[in-house]
Amino acid sequence: MADYDYDVIIIGGGPAGATMARIAAQNGQSVMVYDKRKELGEPVRCGEGLGQREVVAQGLDLPRWCFSTEIHGAKVVAPNGKSITWKSGDTKGWVLERKIFDKWLVELAVEKGAKVKTYHRVTDLVKKDGRIDGVMVSRWGGEPYEVRAPLVVSAEGMEAMVARKAGLKAAATLYDVDTCYQYEMKPYDHENLIELYFGNDVAPRGYVWIFPKDARKANVGIGIGAHLTNWKKGGEVDGADPKLLLDKFVQGHPQLKDSSVLEDFGGVISVGAPIDSFVKDGFMCIGTAAKQVDPIHGGGIALAMEAGIMAANVAEKARGKKDYSEKVLKEYENVWRAGPGKKVAKRLLLRKVMEEVNDDDLNHIFNTITDADLQKVLEGSFAGPVAKVVGGRPQLLRVLKALVS
Amino acid sequence: MERMARKIEINHDKCIQCVGCASVCPVMAIELVGLRMKTYPEKCIGCGACVRVCPANCIRFVEKRE
Repeated sequence: MADYDYDVIIIGGGPAGATMARIAAQNGQSVMVYDKRKELGEPVRCGEGLGQREVVAQGLDLPRWCFSTEIHGAKVVAPNGKSITWKSGDTKGWVLERKIFDKWLVELAVEKGAKVKTYHRVTDLVKKDGRIDGVMVSRWGGEPYEVRAPLVVSAEGMEAMVARKAGLKAAATLYDVDTCYQYEMKPYDHENLIELYFGNDVAPRGYVWIFPKDARKANVGIGIGAHLTNWKKGGEVDGADPKLLLDKFVQGHPQLKDSSVLEDFGGVISVGAPIDSFVKDGFMCIGTAAKQVDPIHGGGIALAMEAGIMAANVAEKARGKKDYSEKVLKEYENVWRAGPGKKVAKRLLLRKVMEEVNDDDLNHIFNTITDADLQKVLEGSFAGPVAKVVGGRPQLLRVLKALVS
Repeated sequence: MERMARKIEINHDKCIQCVGCASVCPVMAIELVGLRMKTYPEKCIGCGACVRVCPANCIRFVEKRE
């Protein structure tokens, strides 16, 4: 394939793109990553939480500078204010510094031989004989020029512009996204717990989170169902508004009401299903661009990295066969759907069942179960706590069945 | 023939470049270019998905000649 500039062009230098670039380069492929941002990892659009199990599964040793603090447990708060807390002796995950973490992942890829260009935007796809054969890329403001590769990968994140131009149905609908607002705040004295606050008045179809950070800081954010927002006539807010709800929460919080905001973040997260198809002739879509996101909490970093590895392995097979047809690339999709895809599908079902739980039900659950019960649930023993909850409210059985199945 | 149509307008002072609007726009009429969201009014169909999803409340409709 002498007339190609690279073996693979990856659009987007987030966790999905950087991971695929690392593995592909390690396999001996020539890799180019284009990122349209001026700085990798910036702006942050995320709560920055990452579970420990996921990183260990990737075989990565997360350096100290990539995360802000460790997570040692969780506290969940019901609409009536009653909470249950679970504390663990050891680390269960991290709250990252995404700006540093993302760059670190890209650096790992560069060390393996991948090339990266920031502030370069892919404006269009190059097609030849009906298949994707390269991209048009523009350094910010400059004339787009052609770069060719037998494989183009969209790791673009939520907006998935190029994936859509490739013909994949990657546009999100309002019902399947949560609209989010987040502050980084200081001071906030915490116990390294993730805190989640539920309730229709707090966050309709969503929740408020407090993720601990180092040096008495925290990410305080909200996500609500985007379909619950409403027209804003002349700039006035009619329906639910994430920023107003977050401000209300902060004002009502005994500690945060006197804290300062160090940074504003916003974004949308996918809480729906992955897209119908991840591949085309000469084209793959990985990570959040393919809506490979946990539909309960909207987390996508671990799934993105996993998909990056799977895609790189299939890309290597395609290179060996000199065949980048949809048929060959489909193996990546099949492997994904048979693995992480199954878990995501289950979580989507659970999310939809959970939407039927109202504030009364939540209060009932929190009034009934104790910290010890939660501990049992987390250890995988559901029978006792479930019997306790359902005893007073049999209609919850359906929800809890979905939880434990 | 000239007619008035509902088109989106972004208040760039309030925008935090979260690209939520671009993610839900069904016709790719908004996109992040450089450090700013860019709109393509000729593509906009006035559906309002971006107006509703925007967490910074910085998109609104204006009547424009088409």
